[in-house]
Amino acid sequence: MKVSLNTIKQFIDFELPPVDELVKRINEQLGGVEEVVDLSEKYKDAKIVRVVECEKHPDADRLSVCKVDVGSGELVQVVCGAPNVHADMWAIWLPPESTVPSSYGTNEPFVLGARELRGVMSNGMLAAGDELGINGDHDGIIEITEKDLLLGIKLKAGASFAETFGLDDTTIDIENKMFTHRPDLFGQLGVAREIAGIFGHQFTSPEWYRKVEYGIENAENSDMLPLEVFNDASEKAPRFMAVAIKDVTVGPSPLWLQCELVRLGGKSINNIVDITNYVMLLTSQPTHAYDYDKLRGHKLGVRMAHDGEKATLLNDKTYELTSDDIVIVDAEGPVGLAGIMGGSNSEVSPETKNIVLEVANFDMYAVRKSSMRHGLFTDALTRFNKGQSPLQNPIVMSQLQNFITGIAGGEQASEVFDKKAFDDEKDEDVLGAKWLPGTISADFINQRLGLSLNDSEIAQLLENVEFHAHEMGEMNEICFTAPFWRTDIEQPEDIVEEVGRLYGFDKLPLELPQRSVTPAPQNTSRILKRQIRDNLKHAGANEVLTYSFVHENVLKKAGQDPTHAYRLGNALSPDLQYYRLSLLPSLLDKVHMNIKAGHDMFALYEIGKTHFKGEMDAVEPNVPNEDTHVALVVTANEKAAQPGAAFYLAKKYLHGLIGFATIELKKMTEFDMASDVWGAQLSAPYEPKRSAVLVHDGKIWGVVGEFRTGVRQGFKLPAYSAGFEVHLDLLAQNFAQYTPLSRFPSNSQDISLRSNNKVSYRDIYGVTIAALEEAGADLQTKVEPISIYQSSTDSSTKTTTFRITFTHYDKTLTDDDIKPLMDHVAGVALSRLSAERT
Amino acid sequence: MNIDELTSALTERVAQSDNPAEVLRAPEFRELYAQIPQQEPEERASFGQRVNAMKQAVEAAVEARKAELSSVDVCPLDITAPMDVNASAPKFLSAEQGTIHPLMAEMQTLSEIFGRMGFVTEDSREIDDQYHMFETLNFPKGHPARDDYDTFMTVETDADGDPLIAPAHTSTMQNRILKKYRENLERGEAIAAVVPDRVFRNEDLDARHEHTFYQFEGIYVAKGVHAGMLIATLQKFLEEYYGKKLDVRVNPFYFPFTEPSFEFSLSCPFCEGTDKDCKVCGGEGWIELLGCGMIHPNVLKAADIDPNIYTGFAWGGGIDRLVMMKYGIEDVRHFQSAKLDFLEQF
Repeated sequence: MKVSLNTIKQFIDFELPPVDELVKRINEQLGGVEEVVDLSEKYKDAKIVRVVECEKHPDADRLSVCKVDVGSGELVQVVCGAPNVHADMWAIWLPPESTVPSSYGTNEPFVLGARELRGVMSNGMLAAGDELGINGDHDGIIEITEKDLLLGIKLKAGASFAETFGLDDTTIDIENKMFTHRPDLFGQLGVAREIAGIFGHQFTSPEWYRKVEYGIENAENSDMLPLEVFNDASEKAPRFMAVAIKDVTVGPSPLWLQCELVRLGGKSINNIVDITNYVMLLTSQPTHAYDYDKLRGHKLGVRMAHDGEKATLLNDKTYELTSDDIVIVDAEGPVGLAGIMGGSNSEVSPETKNIVLEVANFDMYAVRKSSMRHGLFTDALTRFNKGQSPLQNPIVMSQLQNFITGIAGGEQASEVFDKKAFDDEKDEDVLGAKWLPGTISADFINQRLGLSLNDSEIAQLLENVEFHAHEMGEMNEICFTAPFWRTDIEQPEDIVEEVGRLYGFDKLPLELPQRSVTPAPQNTSRILKRQIRDNLKHAGANEVLTYSFVHENVLKKAGQDPTHAYRLGNALSPDLQYYRLSLLPSLLDKVHMNIKAGHDMFALYEIGKTHFKGEMDAVEPNVPNEDTHVALVVTANEKAAQPGAAFYLAKKYLHGLIGFATIELKKMTEFDMASDVWGAQLSAPYEPKRSAVLVHDGKIWGVVGEFRTGVRQGFKLPAYSAGFEVHLDLLAQNFAQYTPLSRFPSNSQDISLRSNNKVSYRDIYGVTIAALEEAGADLQTKVEPISIYQSSTDSSTKTTTFRITFTHYDKTLTDDDIKPLMDHVAGVALSRLSAERT
Repeated sequence: MNIDELTSALTERVAQSDNPAEVLRAPEFRELYAQIPQQEPEERASFGQRVNAMKQAVEAAVEARKAELSSVDVCPLDITAPMDVNASAPKFLSAEQGTIHPLMAEMQTLSEIFGRMGFVTEDSREIDDQYHMFETLNFPKGHPARDDYDTFMTVETDADGDPLIAPAHTSTMQNRILKKYRENLERGEAIAAVVPDRVFRNEDLDARHEHTFYQFEGIYVAKGVHAGMLIATLQKFLEEYYGKKLDVRVNPFYFPFTEPSFEFSLSCPFCEGTDKDCKVCGGEGWIELLGCGMIHPNVLKAADIDPNIYTGFAWGGGIDRLVMMKYGIEDVRHFQSAKLDFLEQF
C-alpha cells in the first residue's frame, strides 16, 4: 500500500514529524514499511517557466527556438522540437545538469546539458509528460493552463515544479499483508486517520466524507437519459449504485490530478478513468465508469453469471465464466467481472459523450474465488477482497460525481440508483457488524495488555480514530460504536488490539507468567530419537535431512509403486511429486554425490515420517496415518570396503538400536509379500536373498539388507552397500542387562563345529546355548562367535567357531570341570545338527 | 590392438561388469572414432563399418549382460549370522566420523530450554487437513489470509472434499495441543507447549528460501495472561539461548489466529548494534525473528476453552534461521542437501 505524505497532509491538521521518526512510528504502531521514496529528489530541478518568444529554427523545420523566462531575470534560450510549443505558454523546464525524471533511479540516468542543436545553443529542455514520468504522452510538451491547477495555486516563472504540483513528496510503501483485515487502510484517508491516531491527535474525516450530496436525488424530465439499473444478485452484491452523466468531455486529466496519481503510484489514462482511480485510492472503494452509449438496452445491472458465459475484459482477454462469478451486465450480456475488471465492450474512449458511474459492494469471498479461478488480480480486487463496507458507497458516489462534473464537465442525467439488499443501515447480517454497538470494560483491555489505562484514556484513543466512544461512568466501562468502515471489529479482542496499538505496544510491561512447579511432561518419542542419534553418532554415522517429497523417478528407481503415495497437485518444483513411502530411497539418492565428492566410506541415516495412501490415523480418521522411521545406508567404494558382505555391517547398525530378542528377523524370501502391501513397498529396494525383514504380529516393521542389482545401478551405488529401515515404534528404550560379578576367574574355551552349509548360524548358536543350559547347573556361560570358515575347495560345509566363557560363583573352574560341558555341546551338535566338532 | 581383439576385450569387460552400459563409454571407442579420418580415403569406409560392427557387438553384449544380471543367481546370505563366511566381524565407522544434523541439535537445545521453562515439547504433522491448518485457526473458508500461505496440496482429498496439505506452519498443531492439555486449566495450571518441527511452503528455492524448513511454535494459556508476558517469555528464552542480555521489541502485525498480532525482533546478539556491516542484522541492530500474538478467542473457542476466563499467547519462528545466524551458514539449501562436506563440520 503506497502512501503519499502530501496526500496525508491534506487530511490532517498537525505537523508530521521528520520522515525517519514517522516511519519508525508507522512500523511500531501500524505496519511494516517496505520502502520510502523521496520524490522531491527526482523532480528537484524541474521548473515552471513561461515561454516568452518562440521562433522557427533557421536550419530545422521541426525545431523551435524559444526564449524562456525561468525567473532569473534573464531569458534562457531553449530549442524545442514539440509541435505544440508557442509563445506565451507555461511549460516545465529541465535545466542543464539536471537528470530527466523518467530516467531517475534507473541504470542509465540521462543528464541534460547545454549544447547546440543544428547550430543553435539549447539550455536543457522543455519537458513532455513521458519525460517527467507522469503520463505516456510524447506528442508534445506539457502546457500548463488554469484548469491544471488546484484552486488557490498561482503559476510563477522559476517556481519549483515539484512544489507547485505536490511532487515535493515522500511516498511510503506499507506491507499489504498487514492490512489483510483492514479494508479502510487501502485508501489514503484511512491511513491518514491511523497516523493521526498513533500520534494522539483527533482525526476528523473531510466534510465530503461525512455528508452525502447527490445533486438531484430523483429527477424525471426530458433531459434525462433512459437508464434501467437492477441487482439480481443481492446475496453476493449487497449494494449496487449507478448514475448516468451526460455530455462529459473525455480528455487528459488536469496536471494536478495527474501528479496526484503519480504520487499514489498510478498512471494517468484519461480524465474519467483517472477520477475513478483517484477516488478509489483516496477511499479504498473501487469505482467504475461505463460508456453509456455502449450499454445495450440502456441497462446496467448485476447478476450471477451463467455457466459458460463469456466476457471480454479491459485486458482484451476473454474469460469463460461460471455460475459462481458475479457479473455486471447490460441488456444483452456481460460488461464486466464484478469487483475485478470492467469489460472492453463498454470502455470509456476519447469519443465517449455520456457515461454511467458505478459504485458497488461485492461479497469478498465470491470475488476472491473468481479472481483465483481466472488468475486475475487487480487493484480493485485487492480492496474488495478485504471486505469493504457497503455504507461507504453513497459517500463515494457523491464525491465521484462531484469530481467528474467538476473536471470532465457534463451533468447528472439519471437518478442515483441504489439497489441494496438491506433497508436498515444497521442491518447486522448484511453489514457483518456482529458486535456493534458494544460496551467493553477497561479491565478486560488492561488484563490482556498488562496495562492500567482508565476509561477516559481508552475512550480518547478510540475517539481519535473516529470511533464513538464514551465512558459509562461506572464499572470502568466504555460504550463504543465502531465506525462503519471498520468491518474488522467483530469482538472485544479487536478493541484490545486497537487500544494497545494506538497506545503503543512498546509500553507493555514485561512480566513473566507465574508457573506451578509441576514438571513439564517428557516427550518420549523425542527422547528415543535423541538416543538413536547419540547411538549412531558414536557408530560413525551422519544424520541427514532430506525432503519429505520425492520425484516419481526416485520411487521407481527404488522399485516402489507411486500409486500408493500421496501426490502433490500444485508443487512449483518438478522434483516434488509424491510424499515418500519410505525414507531409504531418499538416502540412496544421496550416496553417489558423496562418493563423487571424495568420501570413501560412510553411513547416512535419517529419522523421518512416511505416508501410505489410504492408511488413516487411528485417532483422527480424517487425516492420514504418519509413521516415523529411522533408515540408514552404509556404503563404501572398493578401496574402503570391509571384508565380507555389507549386509552384516548394516545389520550391526540395526542391532545397535534394537534387541532382536522380541522381534523375529526373517528371511525376506520366506515372507509372503502379498500379505502385507505396505511391507512390500518398504522392502522393494532390497535384494530378497540378501535381506531380512523384521516381523511383528505378522507384519513387516522393518527391513535390513543389500539392494537389488537394478536399484544399485539406478542410484549408482557401490557394490558394498546395505541399509535398513525400521519403524520407530519397534525401538524401545534399551536398558542394559546386568549380570552380577563372580569373585572367581572365568575360563574360556573355543569350540569349532563343522556343519552343512545350509544349517543357519542361528540354529548352531541356538543348539550350543541349549546344550549349555542343559548341562551347567550353577554356571554362568557366555557364547561369542569367533569365525565362520569355509574351505575354498568345499563349499558344502562350513565351520563355526564359538568362544565359550564359563564363570562359577563359588569356585575357580578347572579344565576338568569344563571338558564334560564342551563334550556335551559337541554331542548335542552332532546329534541334532550333524555338526562335527573339529 | 586390432579391432577384433578390441571387440573381444570389450565384450569380455561387459561380461564382468555390474554396470555394462558403462563400457559403451569406454575411451577405446573415442580413440577408434578419432582414427577414422586418419585412414587412407579408400580404406575409410570399410574401417568405419568395422568400427560400427564392433560397437553393435558390444551393445549386444551389454544387453545380454543386463539380462544376465537381472536373472543372475544372487548368492544368498545367512541372515542370522553376525558376520560373513571367512570374514572378520564387521566394524562400525569411527566415532569421530559421526555427526548429528545441526538443525536437529538446535531443536534439541530449544526444546531443553523450554523444558526448563515448563513447556512440554510436542510433534507436528507432515500432512494435515485444512480444518487444522486453517479453520481452527480462524481462517474461514475462502479467506484472503489463506493466500499468504503458499501451501502444498495433494490431489487426494479429505472427508470434506478438500485437498490435504503439507502444513505451512506448526500452528496446525494448536487446536490439538489446546485440547490435549485443556484439563491443565481446570487444575489451575497453564497449557505450555512448544512444537519444533518441519513445515512446508510451495516456494522456489534460493539461498534464503527453502520449501521445507523448521519452525518452533509456542503456546501458553492460563488465567490472566497478557501480551507483556508474551514478550517477556520470548526475551527470557532468547537470553538463555544466546547467553546474554538482549533488548526485544514488537511491531503490530496481522495473523488471523492472534489478536493482537506482533512481529517480534531482538537486538542483534552478534554485533549488539555496533557493526554497520554486520552480516546477521545488516547493520540495523535488530533481527526480525518471529511472529506472535495473543491467541484469538475463536482459536480458544475451537478447543472449547472459554476466552473470557483464559487468555494465552502463541508464537512461531524459524529454526533454520537461528542456526544459520549462529554458524554463519550462507545457504539454507545446505541443510537438506545431505552433503557430507557440510554435515561433517558440526
